Amino acid sequence: MKAWRIILAVAGIGLGLFGVFRLVTEIGVHSLLALALWMLAALAIHDGILSPAVIAVGGTLRRLVPDRARRYLQIVLIMSGLITVIAVPMIFLRDSQPPVKALLLRNYGANLSLLIVVIAVVTLILYAVRVARDRSPEAPHSAGMVSTRK
Amino acid sequence: MLRERPRWWPRFSSTLRSTAVTARIGRALGVAIALLFVTGLLSHYQYEPWTWLPEPAKPVWGYRLTQGIHVATGTATIPLLLVKLWSVYPNLFRFPPIRSIRHAFERLSVAILVSSALVQVATGFLNVLNWYPFPWYFPPVHRFLGYVVVGSVLLHIGVKLPDIVYGLKAKLAEADVLTEIPWNENPYSHSNAGTLAAPPTPGISRRGVLAAAGTGLGIVVVTSIGQTATPLEPIGLLAARQWTRGPQGVPVNRTAEQARVIPAATSAEWWLQVVGPRPYELALADLEERAVHEARLPINCVEGWSVGASWRGLSLLEVVQRAGGTADSRVLLLSLEPEGYNHSLIEGPQLSAALLATHLNGQRLDVDHGFPLRLIAPNRAGVLNTKWLNRIEVLS
Repeated sequence: MKAWRIILAVAGIGLGLFGVFRLVTEIGVHSLLALALWMLAALAIHDGILSPAVIAVGGTLRRLVPDRARRYLQIVLIMSGLITVIAVPMIFLRDSQPPVKALLLRNYGANLSLLIVVIAVVTLILYAVRVARDRSPEAPHSAGMVSTRK
Repeated sequence: MLRERPRWWPRFSSTLRSTAVTARIGRALGVAIALLFVTGLLSHYQYEPWTWLPEPAKPVWGYRLTQGIHVATGTATIPLLLVKLWSVYPNLFRFPPIRSIRHAFERLSVAILVSSALVQVATGFLNVLNWYPFPWYFPPVHRFLGYVVVGSVLLHIGVKLPDIVYGLKAKLAEADVLTEIPWNENPYSHSNAGTLAAPPTPGISRRGVLAAAGTGLGIVVVTSIGQTATPLEPIGLLAARQWTRGPQGVPVNRTAEQARVIPAATSAEWWLQVVGPRPYELALADLEERAVHEARLPINCVEGWSVGASWRGLSLLEVVQRAGGTADSRVLLLSLEPEGYNHSLIEGPQLSAALLATHLNGQRLDVDHGFPLRLIAPNRAGVLNTKWLNRIEVLS
C-alpha cells in the first residue's frame, strides 16, 4: 500500500503542478486573479453558508419531526435538494439566449416543481404503507427490518 | 498552545457520516472525474490534433458520445460533489486545526482540491448554459484547472488510501462515525470501541442517504440527457437544449447576427474562393448544381447537445481535388465571420468524409446554420464545422 500511496502522491503533485504551470504561463494575470477569487469564494460559500444551512435544517428536523416521518422527509429533501442545485441556474437563465439557439427555453421552475411533487407523492405513499404496516398487529412483512416500534 | 478544544468548537453528533459512506461516495466521484478527464482530453484533441494522428471519421457518433458523457457526467458531478463534501464536513473542524507541517500541507491540498473542483464543475455547467459571469476565457482555464483537479484527486487518494481501504471494506451500517475527531485517533469512535451493535440512525439510514442521493442524481441525468440522446428529449425536464425548437430541427450555437455575417452571407454577390495548385471560384448558382451528395450526420457540440440530421451538399474532397489537392491534403476552411471560431483545419479521414453542406433536413440551409455553405464532417466538434464559408485553402 505504501508504494501505491507514494506513486499516487507523486503523480498527483506532478499533474497538479503541470496544471498550475500551464495556468500561470498561458493565462493572463487578470484572469488568474479572478480564478483565485472564485476558488476562495467557492470555499467560503460552500463551507460557510451552504453546509451550515444544510446542517441547521437537519438539526431542526431532528427536534421537530418524529423519527419515522423524518426518515421519509429526509429522502424527499435529499433528492429534491440535489435536483434543485442543477435547476436553479436554469430557472434564473431561462429565455436569456436568442431563440434560434433552442437553449434554456423550457419552464424550468414548473419542471422542477413537477419533479419535487412526484418525489414527494411517491415517498408519501411509501410512508403511508410503512405506517399501515406498523399499525397492523402481526406486521409479518416488516419482520427483520429496522423497526422503530417499541 | 491549546490542548483542549474550546467549548464553542463545533461538535458533530450525526451517526450518518462514516468513512464507509464517504469511501463509497468517493468511489463514485472518482469514477466520474476519471470519465470527465478522459472525455475532456478527447475533446481537446479535436481542437489540437497531432499531424501524424488525425482525428478519425468513425464512428460518426464518436464526439456525440464522448461529449454527451462529459456534460451529463459533469452535471451529475455537481450534486455528487456536494454529497461527498457533506459527508466529510466535520473534518474541516479538526482540532487543533494544524498539527504539523505535513498536516498543514494536507489541509492546503484539500482546500485546493475542493475549491478547484467546485469552480471546475460550476463553470463547466455555466458554459453549457452559455452564461459567463467570470472574466476568463473558458476553454483553456477549464482544461488546465482540470489538470489541477485530477492531480489533487490523485494526491488525495494517496493520502487517504488507508481510510479508503477501511471504508470500502467496512459494512455500511456498522462502520465508524465520522466526526471532527478522526476515527483512528478517537478511542470512543465506534470502530475502536470494541464489538458494538451498529450505531443507531434514528432518522434516515446510511444506506438511505446513498439511495436517495443516487436516485436524485439519476433523475438529474435522465431529465437532462435528452439534449444528447434525442429519444429522451420529451422527458428532458432539465435539458438545456431542445433540438425540436431549433431552425430546421437543429439548434444553433452562434447565430448569424452574433457572428455579424448576415449582409455578406445573404448577398447575391457571394462566391467561394478555392485556393490551391489550381485555384478557382464557385458562384452561388454553381453550388446548387453540385450539391448532390447526401449524408446523415449528427451535429455535436462540446456543450453536450447533439442531434442527427440529413445533409446535402458538395463533397469537400472533390472540391479539393479539383483545386489540385488530394485525400492527403491539409485543408483550411475560412468563414465570413470576422473573429472567433472563424476557421478550421481538416485532414485525413475527416477530409474524405466531409460535406460542404448547402441543405439541411431537406431545406436550403438557414442563415443561422451557415448559409450559403458550411462544413459538416463525422465525429467532429460542432464548432469546427465552420459556417458561412467563403474561402477554402488547400495547404499541402
